[in-house]
Amino acid sequence: MTGPVLAATDPKVHLTSQTRIIAAVLALAFMALVLDLIRRDRLQERFSVVWFVAGLGMLVGAAFPGLLTVIADVMGVRDTNVALFSIVLLLLLGLALNFSVIMSRQAAQITRLAQERALEKAHEQTNNGKSHDRRDPTVVRQGRREPE
Amino acid sequence: MRTLVFIPAWNEEGPIAEVIAGVRESLPEADLLVIDDGSTDATAERAREAGALVAPLPFNQGLGAALQTGYLYALREGYDACAHLDADGQHPPAEVARLLEEIHADRADLVIGSRYRDPGKAESDDYKPTLSRRIGTGVFRFFLTLATRQRFTDTTSGMRAANRTVMALFSERYSPDFAEIESLQLAVREGLRVEEVPVRMLERAGGTSFLTPLRSAFFIFKGLIVLVVGQMRPRHVEAER
Repeated sequence: MTGPVLAATDPKVHLTSQTRIIAAVLALAFMALVLDLIRRDRLQERFSVVWFVAGLGMLVGAAFPGLLTVIADVMGVRDTNVALFSIVLLLLLGLALNFSVIMSRQAAQITRLAQERALEKAHEQTNNGKSHDRRDPTVVRQGRREPE
Repeated sequence: MRTLVFIPAWNEEGPIAEVIAGVRESLPEADLLVIDDGSTDATAERAREAGALVAPLPFNQGLGAALQTGYLYALREGYDACAHLDADGQHPPAEVARLLEEIHADRADLVIGSRYRDPGKAESDDYKPTLSRRIGTGVFRFFLTLATRQRFTDTTSGMRAANRTVMALFSERYSPDFAEIESLQLAVREGLRVEEVPVRMLERAGGTSFLTPLRSAFFIFKGLIVLVVGQMRPRHVEAER
């Protein structure tokens, strides 16, 4: 990640106190939204950690704008905007991939669950053919399957 | 020797009863399981009326998941051999019996019914594929042969027979996306004996093929990814042998 040759001549960002306040308010509102989603059972805690970290990052960025310049210097990027966008972009890319992995795992789990249910139904059909104990499926289910 | 014949079916209320009757006639000793892959029509009812056991998936999961359900059932219920065929009437049950003979005689672990391997002929008289299918078949044939170093002609055939080793493998690992080809690659990689037997196949009795040129291209592309990734997968040797 080398700095662009034709970068802007004035690399430093000069955040006004107004933009810093807006950024801080947005960060707080974002974290409040995350909290509210958890409270209403729309978001599980284990998936919320990363979003809290993101909100905190926004807050830190608003509080210490000099930090971004330091990071850009460490990355060797002259334009702090480029540094900011590339960091955020990479983080989001990683997060999206992480979600695809989680989705794939859940898709596999759903498939297996559907298969198990289909086999249960098939068993019910055979049991109904022999004896009519449709009443209590829990009894039928016990001890039918040898452990794998 | 207990044998299970299973039929994955998705919206095949038309031909399913006839296919079941055909299997009963050709393979009277075999048990029969229809895996209803979330059909929205009366496939499950027709199959039950025809006397088959039905395992209904609660929603459409794709052919791979449906076939895996069959392998899972065969494994858990202790069948010695299993076979599957398509529900649309393309596969004559008498030919399935020939595949099962190979399993019963322990000449192979997995047997594929190939519509192409007529002795001395590249293509059979009964079966006239469309151009896009012919291209796809050629591509897969080439790459699967390259990957497995074994000659396959009908890589996407849905008429197969298998023994318990294969049941154990496929109920554990069976790609829901690209079952037909990846399963062959997997079986060969695991050191199993995979054999092709030339069979007679019929024109589709009902329904239309899902392959349009664009879909075919996508299908082929996806298949190549699957094959490349499949070559890089770790091997694991099955204990049950």
